[in-house]
Amino acid sequence: MATTNLKINGKEYSVDVDPSTPLLWVLRDHLNLVGTKYGCGVAACGACVVHLEGEAVRSCVTKINRAAGKEVVTIEGLSEHGDHPLQKAWEQVDVPQCGYCQSGQIMSAAVLLREIPNPTDEDIDLAMTGNICRCGTYLRIREAIHLAAEIQTKLK
Amino acid sequence: MESKTGQKKDMRSYRLVTALSVLAILMTLMVKISAHSGSAAFDPKDKKVSTVHSKKDSVKSVEAFSKVYSVLMSPRCVNCHPAGDVPLQGDDSHLHAMLPQRGKDGKGILTMKCTNCHQSENTLGTHTPPGNPNWHLPPADMKMVFEGKSARELAKQLVDPAQNGHKDMKALIDHADDDLVLWGWEPGDGRTLPPLSHKEFKEAWITWLKNGAYAP
Amino acid sequence: MTEVKNNMGRRSFLKAALLAGGGMIVHFSWPVGSKAAGKDALEIPEEWFEMNSYIKIGKNGVVTLFNPNPEFGQNVKTSLPMILAEELDIDWEQVIVEQADFYPERYARQFTGGSRSVMEAWSPLRTAGATARQMLVLAAATEWKVPASEITTQQGTLLHAVSGKQAGYGEFASAAAMRPVPESVKLKNVSDFRIVGSSKSNVEVKNILMGKPLFGLDYKTDGMLIAMVVHPPAFGLRFRSMDDSVAKTMPGIKSIFTIDSLTEDIDQNIFDATSFTKFAVVVGNTTWEVLQAKKALKVEWEAEPERIFTMGGRKATFPSGLESTEVHRAKMQELTKMPGNVSRRDGDPEKAFQSAARILERTYTAPFLAHNAMEPVNCFAHVTADRAELYGPTQAPEFILGTLSQRLGLPKEKILIRLARMGGGFGRRAYGHHLIEAAVISKHAQAPIKLVYTREDEMTAGIYRPTYSATYRAAFDENNQLLAFHVKAGGIPESPLHANRFPAGAIDNYLAEGWQIPSNITVGAFRAPRSNFMAAAEQSFLDELAAEMGKDPIDFRLELLERARTNPIGERNDYDAARYAGVLELVREKSKWKETTEGVHRGVSAYFCHNSYVAEVVDLVMKNGIPKVEKIVAAIDCGIVINKDAAINMAGGAIVDGIGNALYGELPFKDGVPQKNNFTTYQLIRMNEAPKEIDVHFVKNEKDPTGMGEPPFPPTFAAVANALYKATGRRFYNQPFINELKSS
Repeated sequence: MATTNLKINGKEYSVDVDPSTPLLWVLRDHLNLVGTKYGCGVAACGACVVHLEGEAVRSCVTKINRAAGKEVVTIEGLSEHGDHPLQKAWEQVDVPQCGYCQSGQIMSAAVLLREIPNPTDEDIDLAMTGNICRCGTYLRIREAIHLAAEIQTKLK
Repeated sequence: MESKTGQKKDMRSYRLVTALSVLAILMTLMVKISAHSGSAAFDPKDKKVSTVHSKKDSVKSVEAFSKVYSVLMSPRCVNCHPAGDVPLQGDDSHLHAMLPQRGKDGKGILTMKCTNCHQSENTLGTHTPPGNPNWHLPPADMKMVFEGKSARELAKQLVDPAQNGHKDMKALIDHADDDLVLWGWEPGDGRTLPPLSHKEFKEAWITWLKNGAYAP
Repeated sequence: MTEVKNNMGRRSFLKAALLAGGGMIVHFSWPVGSKAAGKDALEIPEEWFEMNSYIKIGKNGVVTLFNPNPEFGQNVKTSLPMILAEELDIDWEQVIVEQADFYPERYARQFTGGSRSVMEAWSPLRTAGATARQMLVLAAATEWKVPASEITTQQGTLLHAVSGKQAGYGEFASAAAMRPVPESVKLKNVSDFRIVGSSKSNVEVKNILMGKPLFGLDYKTDGMLIAMVVHPPAFGLRFRSMDDSVAKTMPGIKSIFTIDSLTEDIDQNIFDATSFTKFAVVVGNTTWEVLQAKKALKVEWEAEPERIFTMGGRKATFPSGLESTEVHRAKMQELTKMPGNVSRRDGDPEKAFQSAARILERTYTAPFLAHNAMEPVNCFAHVTADRAELYGPTQAPEFILGTLSQRLGLPKEKILIRLARMGGGFGRRAYGHHLIEAAVISKHAQAPIKLVYTREDEMTAGIYRPTYSATYRAAFDENNQLLAFHVKAGGIPESPLHANRFPAGAIDNYLAEGWQIPSNITVGAFRAPRSNFMAAAEQSFLDELAAEMGKDPIDFRLELLERARTNPIGERNDYDAARYAGVLELVREKSKWKETTEGVHRGVSAYFCHNSYVAEVVDLVMKNGIPKVEKIVAAIDCGIVINKDAAINMAGGAIVDGIGNALYGELPFKDGVPQKNNFTTYQLIRMNEAPKEIDVHFVKNEKDPTGMGEPPFPPTFAAVANALYKATGRRFYNQPFINELKSS
């Protein structure tokens, strides 16, 4: 056990856990931030994607000591009222079925949109093939990303 | 069938044939590497090289390279020296699931930067991401492809500064102890080790280089 | 209007049942209700009046509708309340939806499976909505002293046109709730529907997108511990002993013990099915700590002899042995050559085959599949001496309650099963072994616990789609006309045969046989059970038959359906030939079937299952030798569509699921061990393989609604196979097709 200082969604936290504990379980079990999901535990499905210093890391294999003192953003911190362009677009397109993978999808899409503000379908394939949606909502995810890009452009 | 998988399969059998033939080829097909006749791959103006040059022993060099080649073509090395822009994965060197891309700097792109999954050390367990502080592919402007290369092609490429990341002899020798190269011998659970120990590999590597870096 | 008899029970008068949920720990808010509309500020009334078990109306006119059925992504939490709202005649913007707990005495049917949620809830929910509306009308009539027949309603408002009086539902909710339940009520005409047939956003969408706790795995209470089980690594093995000396000293670990989830004396039903009943259990403070200790636990296994248990009052067995896919294949091949159990014979098929000028015979196979729902199996349980509370993902609480009651020694009414939103299910969560395991663990640990399966636990613990084989034969006369049709289908451990399905009824000489081979690998329903394989085999075979006979594949099917419609053979045919033909005709029109594009290969398939009809046309291209489905046009007849946009979403998802499983899905076994245990080796379809376009069309009619979750799934397999044939010139007989492609 050791004390690790974390900065998540702009708030400071201090947790006393084994430094090899994955960020995912610290978020879910210790900080009650359960929007980040456990799907595979081996970085294969993308349900646990959060932003670490802006990168779409897989929190299930990211040890907590790697996150110490760095900026972490989870789905709960993407926007205060659920009105990030991606969240708006996801709502408008009514993307989710079961919804379990969607926070990971959105967190991945956020990095895509930051780096390519108007992605093509091919860009979306390159960025989103790491996130599995077992319900098969891929077409709506694609549509929502294009819509979010439009919303984001209008905001600028 | 011209599927990617099909090509890979072909490539694997090709690799096997190549490996088996190396010894036979050795004795009959010794060619020195270089565009410049009579020199090794290094720039003849490089004095260090010429020193080494003097000790060259083509038979010994090529023999050593067959060992080197068996290691470089093992999944632990070839998987991150792919022919395309997607790394390979597993002992069968299949295309990496979710198709992460090389990117300009070899560190991935967008949501799939290598370090998003690959930590500074191996993640415990099987089928978990292996790790190293410097986990990456060769960059886009220096791809250093191993996949699909014959022993001869690879040998020539390895000593060509224009294709080897501008490494001179010293840098090449030092590369045997590169952290990411060393990872190949500590790849984590469920991954086959290269066919030689690191010590044997390093010996063969240096022998090959110091004896003129001949290509089979 | 249709007049229906009311069988709504007496409701209780619920005073001041505030919306805020009780019992949750501080700092952790579990959303109880979901606003139907995107509105953030829906004023929560101080008092609710319960009209019946499905409907509460607040003084201010805000309405709470209870979704009775478990939600796993099929969107019942929106579509079932839409049916209530339609007949209640309210403004959808004023609706809050709550998930009902499992109360068999209050709700008609709380089961998600068989694509029957909407179909079976249709009438009870319409009646419940209409009854509440009628009670409001009667309450207003009494107060206003006017005949009830003169009062109309409009989106939550009661109107009396003659006097000009009007009032919101909230004003009469109290009076209405105290009225006797009317004996019969009138239902709306389909043509007057405003909500049913429209598109309403998923009521939970905002919570999902903001990462609110919704799923079983997100649940927690004060003092809750985490539990994990260790199950045998192979089917055919059982627990022998364990060494917990290291594990029990690890940080955060509370206790390590074994449980018998089921005992021999318990009368199980098919939904308790599990090969594993004795587990090592680790209980501790946090998931990661428990996971570490679980890895440090050393467990010894031993071969399990034939296991005898009781199911439905009868003895049942799991055979002993360690099974392998290679052996399964050989055994199945053997059985395809032996006579099966005949379940239908029309005409004289044997004679027809003897006299045939030519016979076409083809065998199709498919492997075991894992469901791979994204949320791994989990369940919260708190069992005390006199009661039990469970909260978790389950499709079928009714099937597990009896077993829980027997195993815990508690009467059924002392067991509360609460229904969490599920991160997918696909049939997997119809099986409730995890509820029993969680309850037994909680009882033993004397603490509230949440049982958590790792992905590996889930993929290797059983409940799989069985492996199947089907052999089809067609006899032709010298004029290349179809004389007879023979299907012999079987599997491990069950036969997938539907003897009375198309083309039964369309061919004079018809024979259907089945067989099965016992196994200790636990299987269960998987999205459109049996149909998901039979559709693939049958529709591939019909495609090949059409080609053999030089006919267009759609025309050929329509010819057969015309025969089945006008002059059917036999009386047990389970499909409506006209509706079946209807979807084929619609897909032919919408896909512009006759048009071809260079490099685009088209395949068609149609199937009837779970009471709905679906036809699909797949457009497939080959890119570097890899097949890619670019577009699908689907035509669906599921009667009245409740929530159009959600139905389109569901159909699209089922089709993507079909493409993925047809091309990649398989779970092989070696010596009883599942050879894949995570998404690194088990290939699921991903974004880059998803089609560019899925174009869904519904047949418009006023028939009562039928299933949507399953029917669009089975036809996809053969549509892909038939398109692959066009692309490669080869027929694909064995799933997953990617293996056949690789082996070429």
